[in-house]
Amino acid sequence: MKKFKEYIALTIVSILLGIIVSLQFKTVNKTLGEGILPTQRAQQLATELKKAQNERDLLINKVDELEAKIKQYEMSEVDKNIYAENLYNDTMKYRMLAGYLDLEGPGVVIEINDPPVDLEYGFGYSIIDELDLILQVISVLNAADAEAISINDQRYTSFTEIEKAGNHIEINGVSTSPPIVIKAIGPPDTLESALNLKGGIVTILRNYDYLVQVNKENNIVIPKSRKIKEFIYANPVDENLD
Amino acid sequence: MKNQNPKIILTFFSIMIGIFISTQIKMKLETITPITIRSLQTMKAEINAINNEIAELNNIIKMKEEELALLENIAKGDDNIINILLEDIQYNKIHSGQTSLEGPGIVIKMYDNPAERYFGFDLNEDVIHDVDILNIINDLRIAGAEAISINNERVLSTSEIKCGGPVIRINGRSSATPFIIKAIGDPKVLYAAVNAPGTYGDLLKIYEIGFETTIEDSIYIPAYTGDFDFRYAKPLGKDD
Repeated sequence: MKKFKEYIALTIVSILLGIIVSLQFKTVNKTLGEGILPTQRAQQLATELKKAQNERDLLINKVDELEAKIKQYEMSEVDKNIYAENLYNDTMKYRMLAGYLDLEGPGVVIEINDPPVDLEYGFGYSIIDELDLILQVISVLNAADAEAISINDQRYTSFTEIEKAGNHIEINGVSTSPPIVIKAIGPPDTLESALNLKGGIVTILRNYDYLVQVNKENNIVIPKSRKIKEFIYANPVDENLD
Repeated sequence: MKNQNPKIILTFFSIMIGIFISTQIKMKLETITPITIRSLQTMKAEINAINNEIAELNNIIKMKEEELALLENIAKGDDNIINILLEDIQYNKIHSGQTSLEGPGIVIKMYDNPAERYFGFDLNEDVIHDVDILNIINDLRIAGAEAISINNERVLSTSEIKCGGPVIRINGRSSATPFIIKAIGDPKVLYAAVNAPGTYGDLLKIYEIGFETTIEDSIYIPAYTGDFDFRYAKPLGKDD
């Protein structure tokens, strides 16, 4: 009788083990593809990644070329007509506001580095898990009259989202990772002292062991936004259009 | 004799294992990092992100090519630069928040925890802070919100949301609780972005901060009322 019980227990454990092993096997197969060694797959992915990056760079070049061409055409047309010239200036103004124009000017550059990894315990943490700190930095900059802001060379527009994706960050749908470099054009002194306020955002970051550097600079270049935001749901209200 | 044997063998094997492990570490760790399912997945995610970027760039190229074609038509005398510029202004006006907008979306009402507390209680967890609102706004943007306002102040790229004593300042104006956040976009997605388990909006409910979301068919979001004056920023490549 005792032996019988033992057999039953053994069977149950074996069945469970079998199920667990097969589940594990299936998930591994699903992510790797069947019959491929992990190392092979990693190499495949690496080449794929490189290819995609190259393609992206090519496309960015192409966009730049097209934009230069368009600008030439526009300028040549605009010079013929004063009304058109005024309109063109207006266009530039609104493009500036919407973030569709490269800007330059004085301001501050903030660099946020992740805390050094604790050698004793072997774990560190990253700004990736505390994105609201970045949101706060931007809010402080805006409160200090920043005119244009970029995070890791992504222009901060009214539609810019900061999202955690795996172990990196997506800003404007483009993935980046720490260190986070935030550039802001505006009154450099005001911006700097707003950030360095006693107990302010930089203090908070440093309390969490982030390595923060704030530098005033005379000429900062902030790139334009490359994202097209299409309005599907929102419609302009007519009365305010003109 | 029998007593000594296992000890010798053990020592011998320990030394062997030690040598194996040390050579292994020295040989491999520099060239090959361990491949885990997780690292493969993040790599895949990265490729996906870049592919999305490529798709977007293709869209931009298409748009620019159309624009170029239009401009070429002008050169031929078929079209007028004025119309194109007017259209451009319209587009950028909408995108820079200079027009009021209307559309379906959600309305969020946030208010402080209404529970009565004894005097001297630390009320920090009971009141709404700027971080809470910043997180909600970010979540709404991730969900593709097209326009956002807080207490009828349009939220733009230059809008600050900052605690200042009893009020929160938005666009340089004071707002106090309750905060009404309106967002235009896909109502279902927006609703989920702030109500699904694990989202920031869901977290606020643990602190018993008032958080009510309603879906509405038509929301009116006003234009930005302040004026923009760029004193420091200038278009790149122009000296003055």
